[in-house]
Amino acid sequence: MASYQLTVNGKKHTVDVDSDTPLLWVLRDTLKMHGTKYGCGIAQCGSCTVHVEGIPIRSCCVPIEKLEGKNIITIEGLSEGGTHPVQMAWKEIDVPQCGYCQTGQIMTAAALLERKPNPSDEEIERALKGNICRCGTYPRIKSAIKEAIKMKKS
Amino acid sequence: MKTSRRNFLKVSALAGGGFAMAIALPATSGLLNNIEASSFDLGAFLNIDTEGTITFILTKHEMGQGSGTGLPMILADEMGADWSKLTLKRSDYDPKFSGREMGTTGGSSTITKMWDVLREAGAMAREMLKQAAANQWSTDVSSLIAENGFVINSSGDRLSFGELAEAASKLSVPSDVKLKEPSEFKYIGKPVKNLITEEVVVGKANYGINIEVEGMVYAAIERCPVYKGKLVSYDDTEARKVNGVLDIIAIPAIEPLMEGVHVQEGVAVIATSTWSAFKAKKLLRIQWDKGENAGESIQTLQDRMAKAKYELHYQKGDFEKTAGGPDHELVEATYDNPYEAHALMEPINATAYYKGDSCEVWVGTQSGERVSKEVAKVSGLPEDKVTVHVLNSGGSFGRRFYSDSSIEAAYLSMQLQKPVKLTWSREDEISHDYFHPYQRSTHKAIIGPDKKLLGWQTSIARAEAYFTGVDPWEIPYHFEHIKTEAVYAGSIVHVGAWRSVGPHSTALGKECFIDELAVKLNKDPLELRLELLEGEIIKEGNDDFAERIMTHRKVVQDRYKAVLNTIKDKGLWKPAAPGRGIGIAIENFSRTVCAHIVELSIDNSYNGFKVHKVTSVVHCGTVVNPHLGRGQIEGSVVWALSAVKYGGIEVKDGVVQRDNFHDNLLLRIDETPELEVHFVESTEPPSGLGEPGTPPLAPAVLNALYNATGKRIRKIPVVRADILTASA
Repeated sequence: MASYQLTVNGKKHTVDVDSDTPLLWVLRDTLKMHGTKYGCGIAQCGSCTVHVEGIPIRSCCVPIEKLEGKNIITIEGLSEGGTHPVQMAWKEIDVPQCGYCQTGQIMTAAALLERKPNPSDEEIERALKGNICRCGTYPRIKSAIKEAIKMKKS
Repeated sequence: MKTSRRNFLKVSALAGGGFAMAIALPATSGLLNNIEASSFDLGAFLNIDTEGTITFILTKHEMGQGSGTGLPMILADEMGADWSKLTLKRSDYDPKFSGREMGTTGGSSTITKMWDVLREAGAMAREMLKQAAANQWSTDVSSLIAENGFVINSSGDRLSFGELAEAASKLSVPSDVKLKEPSEFKYIGKPVKNLITEEVVVGKANYGINIEVEGMVYAAIERCPVYKGKLVSYDDTEARKVNGVLDIIAIPAIEPLMEGVHVQEGVAVIATSTWSAFKAKKLLRIQWDKGENAGESIQTLQDRMAKAKYELHYQKGDFEKTAGGPDHELVEATYDNPYEAHALMEPINATAYYKGDSCEVWVGTQSGERVSKEVAKVSGLPEDKVTVHVLNSGGSFGRRFYSDSSIEAAYLSMQLQKPVKLTWSREDEISHDYFHPYQRSTHKAIIGPDKKLLGWQTSIARAEAYFTGVDPWEIPYHFEHIKTEAVYAGSIVHVGAWRSVGPHSTALGKECFIDELAVKLNKDPLELRLELLEGEIIKEGNDDFAERIMTHRKVVQDRYKAVLNTIKDKGLWKPAAPGRGIGIAIENFSRTVCAHIVELSIDNSYNGFKVHKVTSVVHCGTVVNPHLGRGQIEGSVVWALSAVKYGGIEVKDGVVQRDNFHDNLLLRIDETPELEVHFVESTEPPSGLGEPGTPPLAPAVLNALYNATGKRIRKIPVVRADILTASA
């Protein structure tokens, strides 16, 4: 066990965990932030996506020792009250069915639009390909990303 | 519209002021059984407080199918309520629900079974609010209307539901109410948004896996890799060295109360975090007695199926004799459906707190009733000492109908006398799934000298679980001679319900074989289906059951025709674009009839083929919420296409060979085709939408592959090698 300092959604936390503990479990079990979801543990489904220094990462596969002093944004900190254009678009298109994977989808989409404000269909597919939705909301995810692009512009 | 005289409601004053309505819901029953309400008190399901906030208390499970939105829509519409004033409250399971509609969620039946009940309840609440206003205004109730949460009189004066709630609660429940005409619906039939969305997009939706109970410890279980194998001994020296490990506990043989659930023996790690428990579980060294299934593989199962002796299930006319007739040709084909994993996004979990004289369970479950009864059994407590908190599920698709994780969590909590949160790893979830059972379907048809189809035979060998496809009402097409037979071959892995259960498998054989017959007879496959649907449905038998079967078959036959004719009228069935193939298939699930038209091309970069477009036509009576309903059909297509492209499991020496998303592949966004959904217009009562989109997809794909290649593939999944090696 060791002590690690990290900044989550602008707030500093000190956690005492093993060095190999993935960020996902620090968020969920130590900090009790449940918006970030466990899906596979091997970076195959994207349910656990968060931003580290603005880059989307699969938190299930990043050990806490690599995150010392890093800025982490989770779904809880993406915006105040769900007002990020991607969240607004998700509500407008009403994407979720069960909703479990959607926080990961939203975090991936938000990072994509940060990097590429005008992605092509192919770029959207490539960016979101790492996120599985077992309910099959993919057509609505695509529509919502296009809606978010429009919202960001206006 | 009809009126109701059923005494199934009780109204009282809400604590703190307002209107509280309790309801008696019908007994759980099959589609073909009578549904009767009986009078009993189960507590409030609808509250209206003095501010006018309407609380709908949901007893059905929300797992992505949207009934948590669809049900209150029905009620709010009939009441004349303001949707924005509606809030949803989830009910714990109550043993009073036992055997009734609110105890279990499944079979795509929620909206179907609650339609009448909620409409009548909503209408009664509306009439009572109107009566309260009539009393206040000293006017005749027939001159008033209820709209947007207000009762309005002819001069335009308004009283809000909140202002009227208290007075309405003191009135007697009317014995007669008039339901709205479909033309008067305000919410039903409109694209109302899912009530869970707001919570989901900010990460606040409350799934079972998110529950926190003060003082809880975390658990993970290493289970015997072979179905029904036993624990012999274990060495936990290395596992105990992991930081955070608190205890290691054997999971012995536990006999569940209900059939169809086997709690696999194993060893549990108890720790201070999920991660510690997962990490330590990998370090356990366990000796298993792998038992009767240790030598099994898909091949051994198929060999048993090949030798299985089928039992006659149904017979009409004389198939055998006709098959041997002069100039009669007998055609035959066999189709294989593999085991399928659920791969739900939220892994299986349960949290339990055994306190000596009571036990609480927090779980996303399709059957609070099963959890309650099973936890009572394993803990030795009376059922009224078990509390089941039913939370949202991150997908269920049949898997969370079974209560195995609650049994495990309750057992561990009993040993520790502490709250225990048990989480299955993804590897546990896939390799120890309750799989959709393997099925082999053989069909035979007799072609007469004038190219007329004279007979049909269905022979189904299934691993185990449920038989469907062999009852006469499951064969929609008319033949003079019909024979069906079936056999269970004995499963090599645990089986369970998987989105659309039996019809997913039976549709594959039935709808591909019809397509083969159409080609053989040189007929259009849609026209051949319409021809075979021409015929009178007669009552077979004299009892009440025979009557219900006949009614059911007539509804289904009418819907088959309506769906196929809609496809024709809209010009949706047309030749494929150059280089592409098209296929069609249709199936009934719970009276919802769905047809898919698949357009695809052979494409090596997509594991053999790429589906470009799926056009769906659905008849489910009234579409309560076309936005969410369309989502269910789209989701079913994606679900079934995953099975067609990547489904099945491999089994070696009794051990399932898949365990995560790197080897249990699922359809992703880049491979999702264009999806177009049409609903047949209807004002008939609604039937379900959660599952009916699944069964016709796989046969439509195989039929389209034939159309593209001239080669028949008679199994799923389909990979590139199948296309290369298939014969014409």
